Amino acid sequence: MEGKKFSQVGRSVTRIDGPAKVKGEAIYTDDMVMARMAHGKIKRSTYAHAFIKNIDYSKALALPGVLAVITGEDAPNKWGIVPQTANEVTLAVDKVRFHGEGVAAVAAIDEETAEEALDLIEVEYEPLPVLLDPFESMKRAGEILIHENEPDNVLHQGEQLFGDPDQAFAGCKYVLEKKFYTSYVNHAFLEPHSSLAHYDPQNGQLQLWSSNQVPHYLHRQLSIVMDMPMNKIRVILPAVGGGFGGKGEASSSDFCAALLSRKTGRPVRVTYDRNEVFVTNKGRHPCHMKMKIGLDQNGYIQAVDFDNTLDGGAYAGWGMVVMFYTTSMIHLPYKVPNARARVRRVYTNKPTCGAMRGLGGVQPRYAMECLLDELAEMMGVSAYELKMKNAVESGYRSVSNLHVPHTEYKKCLQTVVENSGYLEKHGKQPFGKGIGLAGGYYISGTAYTLYLSYKPHTTVLIRVDTEGGVTVHCAAADIGQGCNTVMAQMAAEVLGVNYEDVHVVSGDTELGTFDLGSFASRVTYASGVAIKEAARQINDKLFEVAAGMLSCRAEQLEVRDRRFYSVFEPKKNIEWEKVVDVYTNTVGTLTGIGHFSPPRLKGIDLTRGERVQGANIGHSPTFGFSAQAIEVDVDVETGKVRVTKVTEAGDCGQAVNPMSVEGQVEGSIMFTLGQALYEEMHLDKDGRMMNACLHHYKVPTVMELPEMDTTIVDSYDPTAPFGVKESGEGPVQPTIPAIANAVYDAIGVRFTELPITPEKVLKALKEKQGK
Amino acid sequence: MYLDEFEYYAPKTADETFELAGRLGSQAKVLAGGTDLILNMKQSLLKPQCLIDINGVKEFQGLIYEAGKGAVIGAATKISELEHSAVLRDKYFALHQAARELGSTQVRAMATIGGNICNASPAAETSSPLVALGTKVVINSAAGERELPLEDFIIGNRKTALEQGELLVKFLLPEPAPQTASCYTNIGLRNAMEIDAVNMAVNLTLEADNRTVKVLRLVMGSVAPRPLVSVEVPALLVGQALNSNLIEKAAAAAAGEAQPISDIRATAEYRREAVFVLSRRVLQEAFNAAQEV
Ligand SMILES: Cc1cc2nc3c(=O)[nH]c(=O)nc-3n(C[C@H](O)[C@H](O)[C@H](O)COP(=O)(O)OP(=O)(O)OC[C@H]3O[C@@H](n4cnc5c(N)ncnc54)[C@H](O)[C@@H]3O)c2cc1C
Repeated sequence: MEGKKFSQVGRSVTRIDGPAKVKGEAIYTDDMVMARMAHGKIKRSTYAHAFIKNIDYSKALALPGVLAVITGEDAPNKWGIVPQTANEVTLAVDKVRFHGEGVAAVAAIDEETAEEALDLIEVEYEPLPVLLDPFESMKRAGEILIHENEPDNVLHQGEQLFGDPDQAFAGCKYVLEKKFYTSYVNHAFLEPHSSLAHYDPQNGQLQLWSSNQVPHYLHRQLSIVMDMPMNKIRVILPAVGGGFGGKGEASSSDFCAALLSRKTGRPVRVTYDRNEVFVTNKGRHPCHMKMKIGLDQNGYIQAVDFDNTLDGGAYAGWGMVVMFYTTSMIHLPYKVPNARARVRRVYTNKPTCGAMRGLGGVQPRYAMECLLDELAEMMGVSAYELKMKNAVESGYRSVSNLHVPHTEYKKCLQTVVENSGYLEKHGKQPFGKGIGLAGGYYISGTAYTLYLSYKPHTTVLIRVDTEGGVTVHCAAADIGQGCNTVMAQMAAEVLGVNYEDVHVVSGDTELGTFDLGSFASRVTYASGVAIKEAARQINDKLFEVAAGMLSCRAEQLEVRDRRFYSVFEPKKNIEWEKVVDVYTNTVGTLTGIGHFSPPRLKGIDLTRGERVQGANIGHSPTFGFSAQAIEVDVDVETGKVRVTKVTEAGDCGQAVNPMSVEGQVEGSIMFTLGQALYEEMHLDKDGRMMNACLHHYKVPTVMELPEMDTTIVDSYDPTAPFGVKESGEGPVQPTIPAIANAVYDAIGVRFTELPITPEKVLKALKEKQGK
Repeated sequence: MYLDEFEYYAPKTADETFELAGRLGSQAKVLAGGTDLILNMKQSLLKPQCLIDINGVKEFQGLIYEAGKGAVIGAATKISELEHSAVLRDKYFALHQAARELGSTQVRAMATIGGNICNASPAAETSSPLVALGTKVVINSAAGERELPLEDFIIGNRKTALEQGELLVKFLLPEPAPQTASCYTNIGLRNAMEIDAVNMAVNLTLEADNRTVKVLRLVMGSVAPRPLVSVEVPALLVGQALNSNLIEKAAAAAAGEAQPISDIRATAEYRREAVFVLSRRVLQEAFNAAQEV
C-alpha cells in the first residue's frame, strides 16, 4: 500500500480553467467563428405523434441566403449511445414521436435567414394518438405503436432475482411497501448545445467542435450517421458549460452541423435555444416505483422487492442502462441479502429521457431512504441507528456481486448526525420544523463499455521535453467539473513537479489518447490509474539519468519539489529540469503511456451462482458515499417548504482537490433540491411543453440556497490510485429523501411524489386535519 | 427568437415623445426597460414597426417627494431606484416591498414602474400596492393631459385605458394620512425570479385610539384579470377595533371575493387558500405597523 503523504494531491489549488471563465475569456463552441461559416437551424415538429406525409422546402431553398436544406432522408442511419437499442435518427423519417422533434434543418448565411427559412418549410402531418402516460402507452399498444418494431411500447423489461425474497419476507417482523413517483426534470446546464462542423471536401476530413461530455461516443455516432470511418473524423471540445448527463450522448445539433457542412462545403454552426434544450431533453426518467423492504426483529434488512416503470419518452437513448441502474442501486449502501426487481422502460410521446447526474440512483434512493425512515419509526428506533446497523463495510460483496473495496459510509452517517444535532432535533421541534436523514452512494466508473469491447477505458500519454515541460494527453472531457486540474495534480504528484508545470491536452480525439468520456463519475479514478502508470515510466527513465549525475543508484532516488534526492544522502540532489535536459539531449523526448481497464465483474446471484440479466450494470472499481441531514421550515398555512440547512458528510476517498469536491457537493445538493421542491417539465395534453424556458422551469435561485455544512470525511481507498473515489454524483443521492424525511418530521406527512409543492403540502395538511 | 426589423427613435424631451407617439400611432410601441416588450417581440407576439425609447427623457424619470403633498414617480423610473429609495421605504412601505420582489437584481436594473403597469399583467408586482396606496396616473399625449385613478387605468388582462398616441408619464401618490401603514406580500414557488401566484397589498389608517380602522384598502393581484380591490374587507373592518377574530373574518371574505383561475403556477383552489392566509398576515402586519407610526 502506498502512503497518504502527498504534495500536489490533496491541495485546493486554483482550477486551470478558472481564471479564463471568471474573466469571460473562455471560448465556448458558440463563441467560435470560422471563415465562410454558415448557421444552421432545425425545424421542429408541431405534433407529438404523427406521420410525415410530405415536406416541401422549395420556398425555403429559394430564400436568398439559404445554402442548403436537409431532412431525415439525408441521414437515415440510426444512432444511439447504447448500440443494441439505437433507434434515433438525425431528423425524423416518416414519423415524429415527440413535439419538437427535428424534421428538417437549414443552413444559411446568418441565423436570422436560417430562422426565416424554417417558417417557409411546409410539413404535412397525419396526426396519431398521443401517448403521454407510460401505463396508457402499454395498455394501448395493441392499437398504436410508437416504434413499429417495439411491441407493447416497451423498450425493454427486466427481472432480476437474488436469493429468495419471498421466503425472506415471510420471516420478517417489519415489512413496508409503498409507491413512489419521481418527476420529469431537465439538467438545466448553463450552456445550450452547440456544434460547429467543418467538412473539408478536399481531404474528406470532418472536424466537429461540440459542447459534449463524451467525445469518444460522439465520434462513434458521427461515424455511423455520416457513413465515414472514425479516422476521418476529429471531435474537439472547446470550453463546455456543464453537462450533468445531458451531453452524455450525441445531439441532433452535431449531426445537422456535420451534414450541412458536408452539403455546403462550409463550416456550419448549430446552437440551440433554451427552448430546444428542453424539448430535446434527455433528462431524468420519471419513475413509477413500488418498493417493499422487510426487516427481521432486530432491524436487519432481509429483503427488498422493487418494481419500476420508467417513462422513457420517444427514443431509447440511455434508457436500458438507466433501467438496470435503478435495479442495481437497491443493493447498496445497505446489506440486502435477498432482492428482486421487475422493471420496464416504456415509450411515450415525450421528449426522450436519458442520463442525468446520479443516473438510476436518485429514484430508488428516494424510495429506499424514505421507507427506512418509516421502518425505523415502526421499530421505535432512530433512522440513524437503523441505517448504521445495515450500512455496508469495506470489503462487502452484495448478493448481486457488487464489490465495495472500501467505504467510510458509517463515518459519513456518524459525522452528519453529530454535526447537525440530528438526534437532539429529530421529533423534538415545533410543528412545521423538521430534520431528515438520508444516505446514498454512487459508482466511480463502470465495468464495461457500452459497446462490446474489452479495450482499456482510458489511456494517458505523458510527454516530457525541454520545450513544453510536462504534457498530459488524454481525450477526457472537462465539462466544468475540473478534471484537467485534477489530472495535472495527479501527474505532478508522481513526477515530483508542481501542478502548474503540467499542461493538459484533453477533449480532443486526435491529440488526446483514448478516453470513454465524462459520465459515471469515472474520470478521476480511471485517469488516475493511467497517469500513475505513465508517470512511473517517465520517472524510471529519469531516475537512471539522475542517478548517473549524482553518482548513486536509481532505486535510492526520490523526486519531489522539482528535485531528485538520494533518500540516504539528501545533500545529493539535482534539479528536475537538469535531468530532463540531459535525457533529452542524449535520447530525445520522453514519453510514458498508461492504461486503465476496470476489473471485470459479473452480475451474478451469489446464492445460486447464476448469471442475472442486466446485472453487469452497476459494477464499479469503487464507490463514493454521502450522508445528509436536512432541516426544513414548512409554512403550514401556505405549504411552502424552505430548506434552511444541509449538513453533509461525504466519502470521496482521497480528495485530490478539496475545493473542487466542495463545489461538487454543494452543486449536487442544489441540483437535487430543485427536483425535490420546484422543478418539473409540464406538457399539455397534445404533448407540447408548456414551460420550456428558465423563467417557467423553476431551478432554485440563490434565494433558495440553504446554509451548508459539508465535511470531507477522512478516507483513502487503498485499491484506488491516490486513494480516490468520486464526488460528483454520490452527494446527489441523499438530498431528495432527506428533504422528504424532514418534511415528515415537520408536519407528519410522507410525500411519495415529487416535487413537494406548496399545493401538495397544503392539501395533505388539510386531509390530515380532516382525519 | 430574432426580432423583425423596426425603426428606432430616441426622443430627448416629453414633447418630442408625444409628437412621435401621435404621428406613428399604432405602428409604434414605447420602449422602457424592454423586459416585457422585447420578450414579446422575440416570440413574435408583437411586431411593432417602430420603437420609441423613452429612457432618454428626463421628465419621465425619478421620484420626488414633498412632505404634505405626496410623491410623484416618473413612469420610466427604474424599479431598482424605487427599491433603494428611503422615502418610499418610510412613506409607502408596500411599494418598497413590492419593488424588492420584482424579478431579480438584473431585471430590476432594467425594468421600469411604468412598464410594469402598462404591461398590465394580472400578476404584476407593483399594481396591487399602487392601487392600495390610492395612486393616480397621469396620461399624456400631444393632445393634452388627463388623470385617472390607477384602478380605472388597468382595465383587464394586459389591457389599459391608454388611447393611441398616449403615454403614461407619472404616478401621483397621495401623502399618507397620520397613523397609516401599508404592507405587501406575495407567494410563488421560489423566492426570486417568480411570477406571483397571488400578491396582495393593504393600506390601513387607524383612528386616534390606535385600534379602530378609519380607512382601509386591500388589493389582490393574480386572482382576477386586473387588480381586485376588496369591497367586503373594508365593509367588515372600517369603524371596528381590530382584533385577530375580525382579521380572520376579513381574510375569509377576501378569499370569497377572489376570482382565481388554475394555470401552470397554481390551481384556483390553492390561490383561494393563499388569499386567505396572505390577507390575514398582511392585515395583521399593517395593523401592527400602523399602531407604531
Ligand atoms: C426574468 C424576468 C423576471 C420578471 N419578474 C417579474 C416579477 O417578479 N414581477 C413582475 O411584476 N414582473 C416581472 N417581470 C416582467 C417585467 O420585468 C416587468 O413587468 C417590468 O416592470 C416591465 O417594465 P419595462 O420597463 O421593462 O417595460 P417594457 O418591456 O419596456 O414595456 C412593457 C409594455 O409597456 C409599454 N410601456 C412602457 N412604458 C410605457 C409608458 N410610459 N407609456 C405607455 N406605454 C408604456 C410598452 O410599450 C410595452 O408594451 C419579469 C421579467 C423578466 C424578463
